[in-house]
Amino acid sequence: MKATKLKVALIVLVVIGIGFSFTTINKVTVKGSDTMVILSQKWAEVYMKKNPGASIQVTGGGSGVGLAALINGSTDIANSSRPIKPSEVEKLKARYNSMGVEIACAKDGLSVYLNKANTVSTLTIKQIGQIFAGKITNWKEVGGADATIKLYGRESSSGTFGFFKDNVVRTDFSPTCQTLPGTAAIVNAVKKDKYSIGYGGAAYAEGVKDCAVKKDDKSPAILPTGTTIKNHTYPISRYLYMYLKSKPTGETKAFIDWILSPAGQGLIEEVGYFPLK
Amino acid sequence: MKKIIVAVVAFGFGIANAQEVENDSIKPISTISLDSLQQSINEHQLKFDALNEQLSPMQEQVDRMSKIKISGYMQVQFEMYNYQDVPVVIPAAGTSPAKTVFYQLKPNSSETNYTILNTNTVDVNNSFNIRRARIKFTYQPIEGVIFVLQPNFSFSAVTLKDAYVQLNDTWINTFQLWVGQFNRPDYEVEFSSRDRIIMERTRMSSILYPQERDLGAKISMNLATQYEIPLKIDIAAFNGNFGEGPIGNQVTDVDSEKDFVVRTTYSLQFPKQGLGIDFGASGYYGKNTVFSAGTYSDVDNKPFTAAVGDKLKKQWFGAEVQIFSDLLGGIALKTEFNKGVISGTSGVAILNNNPSFNFSGERDFTGYYVTLEKNFGTKFQGGVRYDSFDPNNRLSGDEVTLSQDLKVHTWGFAFHYFFTTNTKIGLGYTMPINETSTTVSGIYNDDVKNNIATLRFQASF
Repeated sequence: MKATKLKVALIVLVVIGIGFSFTTINKVTVKGSDTMVILSQKWAEVYMKKNPGASIQVTGGGSGVGLAALINGSTDIANSSRPIKPSEVEKLKARYNSMGVEIACAKDGLSVYLNKANTVSTLTIKQIGQIFAGKITNWKEVGGADATIKLYGRESSSGTFGFFKDNVVRTDFSPTCQTLPGTAAIVNAVKKDKYSIGYGGAAYAEGVKDCAVKKDDKSPAILPTGTTIKNHTYPISRYLYMYLKSKPTGETKAFIDWILSPAGQGLIEEVGYFPLK
Repeated sequence: MKKIIVAVVAFGFGIANAQEVENDSIKPISTISLDSLQQSINEHQLKFDALNEQLSPMQEQVDRMSKIKISGYMQVQFEMYNYQDVPVVIPAAGTSPAKTVFYQLKPNSSETNYTILNTNTVDVNNSFNIRRARIKFTYQPIEGVIFVLQPNFSFSAVTLKDAYVQLNDTWINTFQLWVGQFNRPDYEVEFSSRDRIIMERTRMSSILYPQERDLGAKISMNLATQYEIPLKIDIAAFNGNFGEGPIGNQVTDVDSEKDFVVRTTYSLQFPKQGLGIDFGASGYYGKNTVFSAGTYSDVDNKPFTAAVGDKLKKQWFGAEVQIFSDLLGGIALKTEFNKGVISGTSGVAILNNNPSFNFSGERDFTGYYVTLEKNFGTKFQGGVRYDSFDPNNRLSGDEVTLSQDLKVHTWGFAFHYFFTTNTKIGLGYTMPINETSTTVSGIYNDDVKNNIATLRFQASF
């Protein structure tokens, strides 16, 4: 009886072993933007539930970190909240003889956070740039209280930092701008400091108020809402990107195709961003 | 009756005592927990403040150290040579008459550049050697200022390869000023051998740009960063003698002439087709000073007498194209072409002798290469290159009378495997094919055997 049980157990083990040997685990590595990490993890989670053979590993670190990982070959997909730089394309060309592949996967609005008690609610893009460049240092210069403006921003490896610098500040940040690791930290800091200002994804703005932004003095002030971001009337809107070394194949292609499908795009608004269409 | 009274009194006494709670050991929970909790919070707050005080100066130091970047690479290789024997005349000495012996043409020496060939008395058919050992230090103290120092380590010396300051304009993010010792503006020269697939640079680059670097200044304009126009223009001025003559003379200029280089490139991208095309043009304008009077040869192959201080032409124009395609993974076709006049004075002791153009005179030259490179996933790379250098356009075949005027074509093949992102192994084969001339005769009646197979291991960080 014991011997029979042992034989049955061995046969079952062999069958399981053979069965597992036909199950392929296709691993895809995704690294980069902290802005996109929650969205990317959501995509990975839902995709893996529908495709048990797939393994999608998502980490953050910042858009710069993700693109550097793409260049040195340690990631399949680089998430980025800013367009790739020409210098990064040159490195892809040198290493892979390829210019890389850019895939826009979602839309986002960059909100300028103000403390709810701040009397200032509207600023032009130029004023926001001058504030973060350190050229406007007191709220009274923009119609607010006589108080020094406290600046909060992101580290330079952040795509949010890069996008904000290239499109709003357009010069170096003020040396007094305090660097914080992540948008949530910026929101927390602005929430506690009445005379502070920060920036980050519109989805993170809880407990602070969004600044209404004007393209120039004559334009209307626009708040970052789903509608104004989708139709690009909010002046600080951006695409969120996935970058690859070359055209995707295999599991990577299947994952990206799913992200761009209605099923993948349908998850975006749950996380606080906006679908492409 | 008495027993009942005693029982009642005892019972009443017990009840009376049970009401007294003066020194009850169970205190009210809410008051005690809040106090001790507050105390605990205060103690932890003090510890956090103390940690913050310790970490703040460390954060400053980390910020300073993060401004220094260190990178480098090492290439160790095993070469196998297929070099032929060449006749060497041993002059008469004492009672021994002059005789001709056959020694191996020295591997890695030029087969056409010297009238007296370098030879080995004992054949060397293979060797290990360290091709590269470099560390590059980049320091960015403030936005817009970069210091770069790159020493090269070899068996007998540590030499300086790069030493320059790069100033970036922080107003419109378009201009850069480079001052110091750095690569001359040329696609192949600026492409690091860390990333190159074919084992060595082309013959053309080694002749036109000895040691790749020079001392000078460069203004670079890149319209892509701020204006999204993919146009780049470099204008540079150099001493013009780096990599030439004795090493002690290379640290300063040897005359008052400067060499000027202009290079412009434009990039086209077709993302839907996965295609990128970079193309450009360049010009080099300089002069070579004569330091040894004597008979020289001009571009028409006619002799002339040059005196010390005379100037020889050194100028050419060039064009380049690189095409990148995402067809079946990364594939690239790269080509460069240069045509003009090169000049020099033969003799390794001459102040501005170009060891790769060891000739007294001016020559009308043409050089070009075509390279095809393919990436196979992230682990494999392969490439094939054809490069050609004709040091004298005016003569060919049996019209050529000097070995230095013989044209040389070179085929190069290479294949690499990446163990990790920082380590790779490559196998390469190089086949120079020289023009033949019965007028030059000797070994130049046929293609000189001088092929090299290389197995190279590279580690970078």
